[in-house]
Amino acid sequence: MRKLIAGILIGLAAGIALAVGALWQLAGGLVFEERESPFTVEETVARIQHNVEAAGNGWSLSGLRYPTRPLEAEGINALPVMLIEACSTKYSGPILKDDKVRFLSLLMPCKVGVYKKNDGKVYIGIMNAGLIGGLFGPLVGETMRHVVKDQESFLVMDPAKPAPPLILPKSGGEAGAAGGAAGGC
Amino acid sequence: MKLKRIMIAAGLLAALCAPAAQATPTLGDKLPARKSTADHGKFKELQRDFKSGPEVTKACLECHNDAAEQVMHTKHWTWEVVDPKSGRKLGKKNIINNFCTSTISNEKDCMACHAGYGWQDKSFDFAKQENVDCLICHDGTGTYRKLPGDAGHPIYERKEFPHGSGKLVEATDLKKVAQNVALPSRANCGSCHFFGAGGDGTKHGDLDSSLRNPAKYLDVHMDAKGLDFTCVSCHKTSAHQVAGSRYDLSAARTGPARPRGKADDNPASCQSCHGDKPHKESLLHAERLNAHTETLACQTCHIPEYARNGIGTEQSWDWSTATKMGPDGKPLFVKDSAGRRAFDSKKGDFAWDSWLIPEYRWFNGKLSYKTVGDTIDPARTVEINHPEGGPREPGARIWPFKVHRGKQAYDPEHKYLLVAHTAGEDHAALWHNFDWPKAIEAGMRTAGLPWSGKYGFVATEMSWPITHMVAPKSEAVGCAQCHGAESRLKGVAGVWLPGLHKNDWLDLAGWSAALLALLGVLIHGSVRICVLCRKTRKAS
Amino acid sequence: MNTPVRPGHIYLYKRYERFWHWSQAALIIFMLITGFEVHGSYENFGFRRAVEYHTLAAWTLLTLWAFTIFWQFTTGEWRQYIPTYKKVGAMVHYYAYGIFTGAPHPFQKTARKKHNPLQRLAYLALLSLVSPIIWGSGLFYLFYAYWKDFGIDRWLTLEAVALTHTAGAFMMLVFFIAHVYLTTTGHTPLAHIKTMITGWEEEETQH
Repeated sequence: MRKLIAGILIGLAAGIALAVGALWQLAGGLVFEERESPFTVEETVARIQHNVEAAGNGWSLSGLRYPTRPLEAEGINALPVMLIEACSTKYSGPILKDDKVRFLSLLMPCKVGVYKKNDGKVYIGIMNAGLIGGLFGPLVGETMRHVVKDQESFLVMDPAKPAPPLILPKSGGEAGAAGGAAGGC
Repeated sequence: MKLKRIMIAAGLLAALCAPAAQATPTLGDKLPARKSTADHGKFKELQRDFKSGPEVTKACLECHNDAAEQVMHTKHWTWEVVDPKSGRKLGKKNIINNFCTSTISNEKDCMACHAGYGWQDKSFDFAKQENVDCLICHDGTGTYRKLPGDAGHPIYERKEFPHGSGKLVEATDLKKVAQNVALPSRANCGSCHFFGAGGDGTKHGDLDSSLRNPAKYLDVHMDAKGLDFTCVSCHKTSAHQVAGSRYDLSAARTGPARPRGKADDNPASCQSCHGDKPHKESLLHAERLNAHTETLACQTCHIPEYARNGIGTEQSWDWSTATKMGPDGKPLFVKDSAGRRAFDSKKGDFAWDSWLIPEYRWFNGKLSYKTVGDTIDPARTVEINHPEGGPREPGARIWPFKVHRGKQAYDPEHKYLLVAHTAGEDHAALWHNFDWPKAIEAGMRTAGLPWSGKYGFVATEMSWPITHMVAPKSEAVGCAQCHGAESRLKGVAGVWLPGLHKNDWLDLAGWSAALLALLGVLIHGSVRICVLCRKTRKAS
Repeated sequence: MNTPVRPGHIYLYKRYERFWHWSQAALIIFMLITGFEVHGSYENFGFRRAVEYHTLAAWTLLTLWAFTIFWQFTTGEWRQYIPTYKKVGAMVHYYAYGIFTGAPHPFQKTARKKHNPLQRLAYLALLSLVSPIIWGSGLFYLFYAYWKDFGIDRWLTLEAVALTHTAGAFMMLVFFIAHVYLTTTGHTPLAHIKTMITGWEEEETQH
């Protein structure tokens, strides 16, 4: 009998360990999502930027970063990465006002990464806001549900429509800095 | 090594001491070594107002009395190269490219990049010394410009450029330029070679205006704050003959490094300074990298991508949509998201990109060209030029290429590419009147070739060997970029790459054997356990 | 050299022998891991690191072998690998049948005869077939850069060498699987491994 219980317990422990391990492996894929873009880096960014501006719900662009520029200054060659920053006061307001979840400001503004890989293809990387939202109570959960929906609309790209111009930050933009764009959170 | 360090230090010092000079780079201020032993500003011959380019040349020739003669024997002057093997006449004068297609009948525009004055049609006098343009290569002020439409003359009076843009370009102060001549800088060569095919970075992909003052990541040799090589540091020039031409490329130079100044078949190759075994390797690597030089060009690993900047380069030019007008019936000009040309009613559709992974092909240094009048097969993509060479050929290596694709007008009956008269203000010019038949008729008449009166568009491609924008050694293409399932060299014939290539039968046999062994021992083991269990149960 | 004494036990594997066995085992496992990565079966260290580690392990194993060959000849232990057909049939019968019924092991290990006849044959095959395949192709593979100096590139291709090396690796993998399993066939499943670690083998008298 004792042996049986021990066996069950060992089995249970092993099962939990396996599940945790699997989750650990999957976690990266759950928190972040990557998809291919049929356009060049610049065109992908421009299309997303225009989608952000057209999204309503208080969304506006708060910056455009070039994280590889500081590398170039160090003599390092890296494939291009452009980071679009977007923010909605409608969604950031309630979170920023709530002491309990204010620390989530570190996830602001919303970021969309656009980058080229060594296969020569362009990819879009986004954060799975829905997953994060679920972890911090109903207010954040509800907000993030909206964010996820809007974020999805940012990534809708119709090849039939002509390529819009990039929206460059009004000042700065050098060495990876965002520059003072309007609508920051 | 020591010298290199001193050079870097000197460069840094110069950069530190002259922040103002850095903001507006002028050639004279940079390094004392650049300064000539003669101050041309003090020469009486140059202390006058020049009315034209040829006038300046005459003044130059008063002292440099062999210079024009020397230039006249170069491609920069003749725009013609005779291929020693086939005897075919190549060079810009004769070949077709995949961009503006042909210089024939378009000289007034194209010759903005001719090292001469006045080439606007066949009547140009190639023997007239004063027609040689000294300043395009030797301008030390950065102010000397030649615009399309002037047949190679600089700007003599203030004018609108581009035509209809409302932007004004000032006349060049020829006196100032003449008094400030210098050895060619990157900007001098770049005034044409960075802007080939009519725009910054358009043609080559490894040459654009970012190389005027490149950062180290972009080009380790030309690094403006480091080694600061000029073009002629590699393209060693003697008697105005510039070494290292695309028409005569050494694709697989072997042997040790040879010091500069020694007779050399091509000083513009990497190996002429680095030798063909340049990697210092530990015993662990067993000369593995150096063995790669038997198969790969240096450029293949050391230029991980080309057009590594925001300027980018043109990927395709589709002439078949040219003459298509905007909804208002007027010519249309559309830019892409990065502000590069995407469509122009004059020229058709374009595609641009930057940070491009090259295409890799075997290459022995010879590009065979389509020249005007060569027969084509319209059913297939026409190779405007074709990199010769293949595996196991001693002089061939796998090279990186920019492959520029497009569509060009051709004659469906005569089966050759058509010469169209594009540039100009006359009624036949395509960019003026948007009429293909008229433009082709004029172009073919000038070319002296019959035209059936019909035209269609055929898919074309042109291969450009990539050789500039050499990254620092730490930034070379990593092993796994080729030795892996997603290999850059996938599809290149005649090489066997560990990590990419496998024998499927061997793998199947091997894994099956391993699996069978595993199954065998598992079954054997389970039977043993079962027998053991039954025994212990019996015993209890 | 004095042989230690322990009642009911025989001292089968001397210290050097055990050191050799286990370091060789570790190196071979490591070389299988890195080798199959170079082959492109999966990604772990990255191609470059895998090649470097594989090469380093190869040199280490070669060094180990140099000492071991010296040791084999000075101690006369090389005789352990002389094949014999005596009792081979009995061994096959034991593994195919006797082992399940609890029949006694047909071979009694002694310090002079450590390996059973099947083992002797297997090790000899490993030494005379698998080893030459792996080391021959491996050294050609490693020194590819020098082929041209000796004109080898005219009659040998990298593909042939690489495929031979891979074939050898698969043979080694199969050997490894069988070898590991057979360690469990002692009088207790871990007995052989214990012997290989401590050097002492319990005499199987009462079994």
